[in-house]
Amino acid sequence: MRIKRALAITKRIFRGLRHDRRTVALIILAPVLAMTLFGIAFSGEVEDVDVIVVDHDGSDLSNTIIGNLDEQTLNIRFMDSEQEAVKKVEDGNAWAVFVFPEDFSQNIATKNAVIHLRGDKSNVNVASAIATTLREAMTETLTQAGGEMPVSVSESPVYGEDAEFIDFFVPGIMAFAIFLLTTLLTLLAFVGERTSGTLERLKASPMRDGEIVLGYVIAFGVIGMVQAFLLLIIATVGFNITIEGNPFLAYIIVALLALVSVNLGILLSAAAKREAQAVQFLPMIILPTFLLAGIFWPVEAIPSFLRWASFAIPPTYGVEAMRSVMVRGWGLGEIWMELVVLLAFALVFMILSVKSLQRGKG
Amino acid sequence: MSQGENGLAVETRGLVKKYGAFTAVDNLDLKIERGETYGLLGPNGSGKTTTIKVLCDLLKPTGGEAFLLGKKVGDNSIAPRIGYMPQETALYLDLSINDNICLFGEVYGMSRAEIASAEKELLEFVDLTKWRNTPVSNLSGGMRHRTSLACSMIHNPELLFMDEPTVGVDPELRASFWEYFETLGKRGATVVITTHYMDEAHRCGKIGVMRQGKLIAEGSPQDIIQSTGCGSLEDAFLELARKGGHHAD
Repeated sequence: MRIKRALAITKRIFRGLRHDRRTVALIILAPVLAMTLFGIAFSGEVEDVDVIVVDHDGSDLSNTIIGNLDEQTLNIRFMDSEQEAVKKVEDGNAWAVFVFPEDFSQNIATKNAVIHLRGDKSNVNVASAIATTLREAMTETLTQAGGEMPVSVSESPVYGEDAEFIDFFVPGIMAFAIFLLTTLLTLLAFVGERTSGTLERLKASPMRDGEIVLGYVIAFGVIGMVQAFLLLIIATVGFNITIEGNPFLAYIIVALLALVSVNLGILLSAAAKREAQAVQFLPMIILPTFLLAGIFWPVEAIPSFLRWASFAIPPTYGVEAMRSVMVRGWGLGEIWMELVVLLAFALVFMILSVKSLQRGKG
Repeated sequence: MSQGENGLAVETRGLVKKYGAFTAVDNLDLKIERGETYGLLGPNGSGKTTTIKVLCDLLKPTGGEAFLLGKKVGDNSIAPRIGYMPQETALYLDLSINDNICLFGEVYGMSRAEIASAEKELLEFVDLTKWRNTPVSNLSGGMRHRTSLACSMIHNPELLFMDEPTVGVDPELRASFWEYFETLGKRGATVVITTHYMDEAHRCGKIGVMRQGKLIAEGSPQDIIQSTGCGSLEDAFLELARKGGHHAD
């Protein structure tokens, strides 16, 4: 194994980029665009939900509860007819109707007071936001009236004190973007090597199969780290994400994930005879990563019979390690297991990708 | 037996290459002297390209043995001493001529100064000096062939395998290619070339005619013509293909 020969391959990849602006754009713009769009789309809470209040009671109590409804979450309109209000929901012009019956305040004493909620639950996020807002308004009213819950929860988070949803998914998007793009770029580049005959020419030279793979690993590892740098900049400057842990450790995770991806790309290229066939592998890479790696919802939310699949794909470990460093502020001592698993994936894929080059000899 | 003393550039003994039930190279015994320009002739599918790929260690033989420059094929010390020009141009289209040549120079472990000197000479020969910084994707087919030849020659190999290097090349360029191959022969390099062109076969010191994976005739072009009793090499080739062939020497 000669590092100089491997570096010749690395240099060739970077030299090629000088004349290939489209690929450079893909390397730089794709992760930036992904991060920006996801960041904007997921950073907001549910707001401006149209609801209708029908207050048959008209008491101080019902007015106080209505007054305590969060007006940032809800756009409140008032109507007299429950039937007409429900019709608005049926027609899609409102998400819910809060109905205060005539005897609402009278029934408080007997603990039989009920607020009827007639909602459109077709969107669970909106429905959940409405129910939560109503519960909070009732709790607030109770507190104002001097009544207090006998039990309270005192929350002092161990990790992620000010964390929002965006803090949860940014590490996931970073791991996803690097895994996907590195695999895709390597796959296409390597299919090109195979179809153009350059791989054959290299194999007829003193270049060893391992040196070709190493050359690719170095090049795309560097590209992956540049992408990670851009993503971290956008996350911290654009979305005010605080990186609790050591950013250098985040780079190590990215480098390992890129190592896994490069070798996966080379491995997959053995099964593709043309670029068009290589593109057919995309759903195989995107879907499991997107759905099972814990990017948008935790692995614990995946049905137990499918959870093994999450642990069988490398990005799951990248996402978990990245999240632990960025949100929990963990160090090497806590995430070493994820790094070892990623390294093991990388080594296995590397051995298989070198074997796939030798297999071509027939 | 050591293969180093017998002076052969290429030697195969009972070489066989099968793809499943299909035999591409069938018990091939080949001896090519050092400094020789050897032409492998044969119709499409006769096993010429497979033979070259086995010799360049790109395909594993199913049976038999092959030696290059006295070493068994697969020996790591051979690769730096041989050059290979595949049928397709096999270049990085997104790189310039200079970048392609430099890459292969680096792959063969040459220093920057060595690459610069060899590249200058080669580019002058293939008449591409003024295009050296042009991406290969912007070059014509003939220019790509010339670049491919330069990449194969950058490390000044002792033994050069060329698989139909002049297919799609205009007559003028073909003539200049052959002048260069003859120069290489005079310098002591061995050139093994596959071709369909009879005028090119005439320029080889020795030719081997292959059919269905077998060597059906071998000798100098003149020997082959005489032994078949034909008036031209083309007629001799057709006669051999019809009869199944024989060795002229």
